[in-house]
Amino acid sequence: MIRNLPALSMLLFAAISHATDIQVMDAQGNPVPTAMVTASPLRLPPADLSDDGYPPHGVTNTAAVTLTRFTDAEGRASLPDAEGGRLVRVRAQGYVDATLTAAPRATDLSVSLQTMTPEQYIASFPSNVWLSQLSFGGDAELKKTFQLNCAFCHQQASPFMRNERTVEQWLAVFERMNSYGARLPTEDHLAIAEHLQRELRALREQPETVPEPRAWGEFLSGVSMTEWPIGDGFSQMHDFLLHPNGMVYVGDNLFDRLYEVDPNSGEYTVYKVPHRADDEVGGILGNRFTVFPKMYNYMGVHSFAVSPRDGNIFITPSMQQALLEFNPRTKVFTLHEMERGYYPHTIRIDAQDRVWFTLALSSQVARFDRDSAEFTLYDLPARSVKEWLVLKSLPLLFSLDPEVRPQPDPDREGTGLPMPYGIDVAPDGRIWVARLYANDLAVIDPATDSVSMIEFPYAGPRRLRADAQGNLWIVAFQDSLLVKYEPESGRFSEYPLPVRNEIPYALNVDRERGVVWVNGNQSDTLLSFDIATEAWRVYPMPRQRFFTRDVEVSEKDGAVYTSNSHFPSWQTEGGQPTLLRITPPSP
Amino acid sequence: MNVSDLRTGSLVLCLWALTAAPLAAEWPVYGGDPGGRHYSAASDINVDNVAQLQVAWTFRSGDSSAHVEDMAKTSTQSTPILLPEAAGASLVYCTPFNRVIALDPGSGEQRWSFDPQINRGGDRPFRCRGVAYAEDAETGVTAHCRHRLYLSTHDRQLWALDAQDGKPCTGFGESGRVALYGASGHAPGDVSNSSAPVVAKGIVISGSTVIDFTRAKTPRGIVQALDAHSGAPLWQFDPLPGHPQSGSANVWAPVSVDSEYELVFLPTSSPSPDYYGAGRIGDNRYANSIVALDLKTGKLRWHFQHVRHDLWDYDTPAQPILFDWQRDGVSVPALVQLTKQGLVFILNRLTGESLWEMTEQPVPPSQVPGERAALTQPKPIAPPPLLDSFLMPHDAWGITPLDRADCRNKLENLHNLGLFTPISETPTLMYPGSLGGPNWGGGALLAERGLLLVNVNNVAFSGRLVPLGSDDTAGNGPPAAGKRFRVVMQGTPYAVEIGSLQSFLGMPCNPPPWGKLVAVDLYGGRILWETALGSVHEMGPVKSPFHIEWGTPNLGGGIATAGGLFFIAATMDRQFRAFDIDTGKTLWRFTLPVDATATPMTYRYRGRQYVVINAGGHHMFNRGSGDYLYAFGLPP
Repeated sequence: MIRNLPALSMLLFAAISHATDIQVMDAQGNPVPTAMVTASPLRLPPADLSDDGYPPHGVTNTAAVTLTRFTDAEGRASLPDAEGGRLVRVRAQGYVDATLTAAPRATDLSVSLQTMTPEQYIASFPSNVWLSQLSFGGDAELKKTFQLNCAFCHQQASPFMRNERTVEQWLAVFERMNSYGARLPTEDHLAIAEHLQRELRALREQPETVPEPRAWGEFLSGVSMTEWPIGDGFSQMHDFLLHPNGMVYVGDNLFDRLYEVDPNSGEYTVYKVPHRADDEVGGILGNRFTVFPKMYNYMGVHSFAVSPRDGNIFITPSMQQALLEFNPRTKVFTLHEMERGYYPHTIRIDAQDRVWFTLALSSQVARFDRDSAEFTLYDLPARSVKEWLVLKSLPLLFSLDPEVRPQPDPDREGTGLPMPYGIDVAPDGRIWVARLYANDLAVIDPATDSVSMIEFPYAGPRRLRADAQGNLWIVAFQDSLLVKYEPESGRFSEYPLPVRNEIPYALNVDRERGVVWVNGNQSDTLLSFDIATEAWRVYPMPRQRFFTRDVEVSEKDGAVYTSNSHFPSWQTEGGQPTLLRITPPSP
Repeated sequence: MNVSDLRTGSLVLCLWALTAAPLAAEWPVYGGDPGGRHYSAASDINVDNVAQLQVAWTFRSGDSSAHVEDMAKTSTQSTPILLPEAAGASLVYCTPFNRVIALDPGSGEQRWSFDPQINRGGDRPFRCRGVAYAEDAETGVTAHCRHRLYLSTHDRQLWALDAQDGKPCTGFGESGRVALYGASGHAPGDVSNSSAPVVAKGIVISGSTVIDFTRAKTPRGIVQALDAHSGAPLWQFDPLPGHPQSGSANVWAPVSVDSEYELVFLPTSSPSPDYYGAGRIGDNRYANSIVALDLKTGKLRWHFQHVRHDLWDYDTPAQPILFDWQRDGVSVPALVQLTKQGLVFILNRLTGESLWEMTEQPVPPSQVPGERAALTQPKPIAPPPLLDSFLMPHDAWGITPLDRADCRNKLENLHNLGLFTPISETPTLMYPGSLGGPNWGGGALLAERGLLLVNVNNVAFSGRLVPLGSDDTAGNGPPAAGKRFRVVMQGTPYAVEIGSLQSFLGMPCNPPPWGKLVAVDLYGGRILWETALGSVHEMGPVKSPFHIEWGTPNLGGGIATAGGLFFIAATMDRQFRAFDIDTGKTLWRFTLPVDATATPMTYRYRGRQYVVINAGGHHMFNRGSGDYLYAFGLPP
């Protein structure tokens, strides 16, 4: 990536010099600032999708790259010239979307936006502001339970969640979601169904009570967004890696495919992750998605980390007791099998090239020593005797066929499932882990192999990252907070998010610039937080229901990448998962 | 909802209210009124006395004895109309073979009959939902055919008959009939008619029925308007412009007319072939829509497409119900449209705008090569769907652990991502299937309360596309009768195989009720109550001596009355029932000789209220046929 930056910059400037200028106005002829202008090719590049709708292993296709810019105070935006025709969608808060066709090498375009009716305007609000008005009868804990268990795949209170449903229809939804793997406590189903039915109806009847979303900022006129559509509506582009070789490696969690995307050319190559002959769809967890038209997750490609030594990529296959290694030069996968531990989750590699990852089901942290090819597992403490028993019985449970394996009835505390989730390596080499259901942090000192636990005073520590000073930045999922933990002092600081009722999934830290980037999945945003000034910026996503689970930062130029992994992906606007790069304005 | 539009609408509505005739206790048109409300102001029979209801008279058309060989191919769906005094005050209906019969409303004695001698060629089953009446102002007041009946037949003839004697009106077309579109070039039965034509302001309008799943390229679903006096063509409307490799999108369900605003509302069906759309890329406008045309010119005023690029045979099955939406002091000319997929759309009938927020529901993509399913489908934010279209393995139902396990296994092997899951080469859940949800029986509306009563099917189907060359033998039997059928879709690479989803015992795999009656509060956007509709006591290999109210598939509709009652048959148990519209409680029922898959009607005649139902069975139910008309009344 770094070596390609000069070429990229040249391309960018060259493109702008032959730009297509677009003027966005309202119906009265006034300029509309901060309008989102998204251009996509009219004709899709030819693609070989002959492997069940995906490119065959090793085949290179070209993505139909989409570019988004925002208008300035004069209502103008520039799009780089393109040889082919483009479809241009113009979207602005309070206006009805407009689409127009741009001829090849068109230089000037103009579009007049129609103001939304009051009803259209309220209906267009993102999910988070609607969700903010649901109180669940004043039961804050119940709302948190709902958010924890229902908002990690979908936007809640989106237009199609707000559809009137009977209590019985809501109950059927919960049962169906739990069969897919959600863990909404059975004892809460009825109360949540009744609250949703009643409170969503109340909002529908009094929509004026729904607060307006945050206005898009003027700074957006300096922002550029590029999307590379990859996969299809059944894919789930979960985590990914910005590799020093300039490529971005994206994992399709549901189809065991690795997408190697070249951001410079738009070309991408797919590598199919191999599995053993006797592996089954769903791996050792079993296939919970038998009713889906297609599914190919023998391994479950989840999280990525790159070796500082040789650039090999390590991948957690959630559905197996194993670790995957991919050599980006030879394109060869190596499977490192583990005897213990369940659900390899988030992965990082330390400066000594030791591979660390969480084992979400068995409440452990694994360390993989590349020289010896041995795994070391660190048990994280159970919260109760019952939980200890559940964790210890996992080998027995997993010895049973998935079809007859008993499923514990979930409770609010997630008993039996403290779920170590996010993990990061601090500059001092210590390993930090967040346990989502247990609301605590674990720290492992590799020098002593000691494990310490720290109570996290908020709900839902999901993913975490360390900054250049060694402070931990943690998202509190159902508490809608960004939290800083300073190991030196043991102090927690909370930073309310700049959008209402966001449920932050993950984050990353631009250590070079001191900026924290947070997923804004309910509000269709990506959020940046300047550590020094404590100032937020809100980046609207170019597609609704974007739902991102990972953020990567290009330390060199400050560009951030995220992938679109709503589940299911066909519910994303356009029905198409993408890899997205945001190039923020210069500070 | 656009507030300014609502206000404008309220002004317009005030004018409308001044001119609109109040609902009477007669039943002059198929749906009770030109807007298909299925409602009568008659209240002699009410919740307090309905238990005393008894047979007033019966009539048999004679079809059962005269057409023995064809009765298995009939479905009796006719709703009689009561002619005004000036037209003879007869009760008039049609039989499946398009015979028109006029009866004395008080005694059931036949006054006259007319047999159009239809061409019975082809495989299309026989049915006739009704006839239309109009007074022809161009004919002398005392002249023959001043009062006319219009009949669209199985073999695509539009007849005009004198309402007094049933003889053809010689000045209409050729000796009283006009050969409608499709007179040549199509096999008998490919195009036919089932619903009654509509007549307004001297214009008679007829849709058509097209067999749309056996071929990619089928006849166009042209809607025709003719001069009601002469039969001369006035205008035509093609509901699927373009798409030369497709056809249909016809209007087989009853049409509604708003004479005040001079609008005709067409419920259009799916384009051909039903389950494969690679040859008709795009939304396929104006298929699967409610289309509002200018009554006099046939020009498009607006349309609302409730299914884009249909791959499920989700025709618009029911007559658009016209009413005046009155909420928060605002009044809007509106219509409510029931769909097979179980959604209730409420639209401003002058603009087509939804009166509830319309959401775009993302739906799964197709896995069939070349197919491009729509990315989203419209869904009103309220009222809720009339049935839940998911059926998960853990929902499997069975009367024993064994057949439940069988159903669970079947469900685990079906693709099922809810409503609008595209059919593919892998068996796919179709829930609801082409039967619906609601179907042509439509709903009954108590407009002043915004209370809609609708009978709903709740039976899961499964289907798949079978590549030609693998095993393309045509199958048999309608899914509603528990059979699977396989039909080659000529002009495509596939046959389609569809059947009801049931266990080895023949029991449905989804939990009962398999048919239900639902009361919907249109203004509140909520379901007020629902109850099982039908008993399965006659559906097993051995009849049960007692009723088992698990609901049954149902075809035909119901009617509501000012007496607080909802009358409906429609079920596979030969029952004709009266429900309390406020509670859903069954207040009365009567056992008919055969199933009655028609919509009843009611009228007052010489001081007595009658409720009439046509009972003749339905070939899809495969439970016997008949030729009965039953009239019920309180004891004299």
